[in-house]
Amino acid sequence: MHFMPILSSLRRHRTAAALIAIEIALTCAIVCNAIFLVGDRLARMDQPSGIVEDELVRVRLAGIGKDRTDASALTNQDLNALRAIPGVKSTASADQVPFANSSWNSDVSTIPDDPAPPVNGAMYVGSADLLETLGVTLTAGRDFTPDEYIEFDAMQTSTAHMPSVIITRGIAERLFPGKSPLGQPVYIWGKEPQIVVGVIDRLARPNNVKPGAQDYAFVLPVFVPYTIGGTYLLRVAPDRRAEVIAAIDATLNKVDPSRIISDRTTFTEIRKEFFRQDRSMAGLLVGVCAALLVVTALGVIGLASFWVQQRTRQIGTRRALGATRRDIVRYFQTENFILATIGIIIGMALAYAINLWLMDKYQVGRLPAVFLPFGALLLWGLGQIAVLGPALRAASIPPAIATRSV
Amino acid sequence: MFLMKDVSKVYRTAMVETHALRDLNLEVRAGEFVAVTGPSGSGKTTFLNIAGLLEELTGGEYLLDGVNVKQLDDKARSKLRNEKLGFVFQGFNLIPDLDLFDNVDVPLRYRGLTRGERRKRIESALDRVGLASRIRHYPAELSGGQQQRVAIARAIAGDPKLLLADEPTGNLDSQMAREVMQLLEDLNRQGTIVVIVTHDPEIAARAQRNVHVVDGVATDLERGPSLVRPTLAAAQPGA
Amino acid sequence: MFTYYLDLARRSFKRNVALTVLMVLAIAFGVGASMTTLTVLHVLAADPIPGKSQHLYYVQLDPEKANGYLPGKEPADQSTRADAEALVRAGRADRQAMMTGGRAAVEPERAGLAPFFISGRWTSADFFAMFNAPFLAGRGWTAADDAGNARVTVVSQLLAEKLFGTTDVVGRSVRVEGTPLRIVGVLARWRLTPWFYDLSSDRYGKGEELFVPFSTSRELKLTRNGNMNCWDASPDPEALGATCEWIQLWVELGSTAKADAYREFLVRYSEQEKAAGRYQRPPNVRLRSVPEWLAYKEVVPNDARLQTWIALGFLLVCLINTVGLLLTKFLRRSMEIGVRRALGASKRSIFVQLLVEAGMIGLAGGCLGLGLAWLGLWTVRHQPTSYADLATLDLPMLAATFALAVVTSLLAGLLPAWRGCQVTPALQLKSH
Repeated sequence: MHFMPILSSLRRHRTAAALIAIEIALTCAIVCNAIFLVGDRLARMDQPSGIVEDELVRVRLAGIGKDRTDASALTNQDLNALRAIPGVKSTASADQVPFANSSWNSDVSTIPDDPAPPVNGAMYVGSADLLETLGVTLTAGRDFTPDEYIEFDAMQTSTAHMPSVIITRGIAERLFPGKSPLGQPVYIWGKEPQIVVGVIDRLARPNNVKPGAQDYAFVLPVFVPYTIGGTYLLRVAPDRRAEVIAAIDATLNKVDPSRIISDRTTFTEIRKEFFRQDRSMAGLLVGVCAALLVVTALGVIGLASFWVQQRTRQIGTRRALGATRRDIVRYFQTENFILATIGIIIGMALAYAINLWLMDKYQVGRLPAVFLPFGALLLWGLGQIAVLGPALRAASIPPAIATRSV
Repeated sequence: MFLMKDVSKVYRTAMVETHALRDLNLEVRAGEFVAVTGPSGSGKTTFLNIAGLLEELTGGEYLLDGVNVKQLDDKARSKLRNEKLGFVFQGFNLIPDLDLFDNVDVPLRYRGLTRGERRKRIESALDRVGLASRIRHYPAELSGGQQQRVAIARAIAGDPKLLLADEPTGNLDSQMAREVMQLLEDLNRQGTIVVIVTHDPEIAARAQRNVHVVDGVATDLERGPSLVRPTLAAAQPGA
Repeated sequence: MFTYYLDLARRSFKRNVALTVLMVLAIAFGVGASMTTLTVLHVLAADPIPGKSQHLYYVQLDPEKANGYLPGKEPADQSTRADAEALVRAGRADRQAMMTGGRAAVEPERAGLAPFFISGRWTSADFFAMFNAPFLAGRGWTAADDAGNARVTVVSQLLAEKLFGTTDVVGRSVRVEGTPLRIVGVLARWRLTPWFYDLSSDRYGKGEELFVPFSTSRELKLTRNGNMNCWDASPDPEALGATCEWIQLWVELGSTAKADAYREFLVRYSEQEKAAGRYQRPPNVRLRSVPEWLAYKEVVPNDARLQTWIALGFLLVCLINTVGLLLTKFLRRSMEIGVRRALGASKRSIFVQLLVEAGMIGLAGGCLGLGLAWLGLWTVRHQPTSYADLATLDLPMLAATFALAVVTSLLAGLLPAWRGCQVTPALQLKSH
């Protein structure tokens, strides 16, 4: 195809050509970044929690009146009563769960009194069956033994000492890269270090933190009564969750009716709620992309139709001089391809500029290079589809036009 | 009424310089009916554009009704076109989706006349061309000759001193052409200066004065006895 | 003349309905999306307490241990109980209040109503005047009540109606965590957007329902709710001497001069505490006005901001699209424009005529865009975010929608109108 005549013709109509090129550039830049953000959100929504999501039920409760001295005993009674509900495999008390928007965090370091601790992780504490109820996978070491547990009140004294800790693989790789963390001391709470006795593959944090810190969580052997943590976890066969939920209130009221149970949901619900914002953002981004592509396509169609009408005489003349219909179609397709290419080149640069700005202001990652060919193909394809209609109309202009005088 | 002295018009592109007009001298007085003839590419259309203030001249002087057009800005030129000139084109150039009333209305709108004034003029102009009964019809519903008559009505609605016509009968059959020429002659008799650009010798013969443009220069032609018509210039009081 | 242009514009639209509809839709969608996100942003980022935001200041001190101190590092967000009580007692500002969020179980007297939890705030007497809390009945408590651990409370209108079925409840008592408290005031419906005085609470939510003097809340051991940061082990984190930060401390200062003076006072206080051995770090104080505090805490959710940028980017593309379409629309009519110019229309007349056409498209786009924005906000209101119910189009935003649409279309029309009026009368009229 002859590029030079097409280019010189475009130069004569440079305003309209520039407008379409800019429109394609902007669309390319925005769509590339939008799709990237969608991927980012989807990845976030996809992150594994590390727990048996489809088997977990969470109960939130609190007591009326102050200072239940028998809180721990009552908690144990509750847990036993809940375990007795048919369908319940195990129960535990906890301070927080993944994706539930609270945050008990603490610094973790390999040296005592570290002025700049390398890790700040989510602190999970609870009753002895916590790990089993959550269903986390231990990749090394062991769960806590019953004698390692201390009471929550004891944790608040200055002589508090928890002998052991279980950390996630994220913390292990950060603090002890390349070697086994088992048996190593870490400093989290109190003057004495905690010895790492186990490593969990994954345990998600309750809230969103900056990327990199997402994998930092640990479990301490501290018994948390309901008056502190307000959370009970039940591990239930997936198909029996509804009936178990229905039985919770009655069970707990039988143990002690002076509590208020504020929530009983499945973890599936909790997860869905937590990512609701991400879901709607992803939906919005996809919608905007679609709208942008439609608008740009219509712009291309509008301009191409105009140019066909402007050049009616010229096209007729070409046909009279021997051009086939296909040649005419090719002409317009080539012209569109050139414009799209210019737009895409500008668009790519613009996409990276936008990405840099997003990285700075909104902490997203860098736009991967694979988006270049993807974006280019998308907009080339869009342009070609859009220009097809007007091009075919141009091709149907009869050669007889050439001889008509007006 | 208008005077062109040593007018030249040069078109410049990156590679080529075209001298459409060179040292054109012409004076047209009140009451005249001038036919401008010449071969294609001679510059007669360019001459018409310059006379009609549609284009700017490159060199020389052009005085329209005593006003030197060189100092005029776009606004002043537009005003002058609107008030002193009327145009009739070969392709009629009526606006397709306005009816006849609104088409004749166009130049009057740029004059700031009241509604009543405009209506009066439009009705009178269409009446003069014999199309008052079709006032609300659209151009597409009329024949070529009728469309040209509407274009003439549009040209005269503002009472211009000078009517410029570019091949007004070029797209008409001989019957319609005769009607249009009759109309133009009537207008001329009633006092409007008419300048027609044409390459049709029959048309040129009906004009009182012929100017021949060749290679950008204008010369008056002698008229043969069979083609002589009484000069209106003599009949008009004052020029 | 303007009505003439309107009429010409109308005819032009009728001639090419598809193109006109396309342009109107493009503007409408761009404007609709932008106004939806801008309204949400406007709601979230607006001054929560106009007229007073410059006079309310948030106090930050740095009582933490020397280990971990870096010069220039920001002090912790919240204050210790000891610092807060000391500064409130010192009374060096026009008004001062310490506070924390809380939760408490309320036992209604009405038969048949089970006890329920409410969110509360444990604070000091100046709180109500400082934050312009509107009273339906009664008033706040006094400094004497603070000092005496008085068993008093201020309730929200909603809570009064839920407990007693009426808002005329001053003097009646309500059982909170087992203790009866006397109601001294009832608050009218109150919404600060956001609840800036405690950003660890639900920032855009409905607000607290029960207010109790802080001292009383300590005596009754009412549960606190919010963030707590302890830099050392503390057997009782809520004790007076605990090494824990969990209190918000606000002061009211009528002028910048007073603010500077108070900042000086905070520095001297820190030095005194260091000399006394309590503080370990050099003075590191912050006194931020409400706007500064909101900016520092980056209160507006990132997603809201991001969505606004995306919508504006979409509007930009729609604008460029409209420029292109208008350009082709006007240039298609070169013949007509040329005729008008020959008949005496100046360039300016043509320019105005074409711009009026563009403006009309903007107006139509604005009407449709308003509907779309309303629809968009309806969708936002049905999201389960706490600020959902605030997403409505108020009068200024409504006017802004039209303004945006018309301005966009006029901007879009500038280039095409200019190109249109450049059409030279001569060249277009050559019939071959």
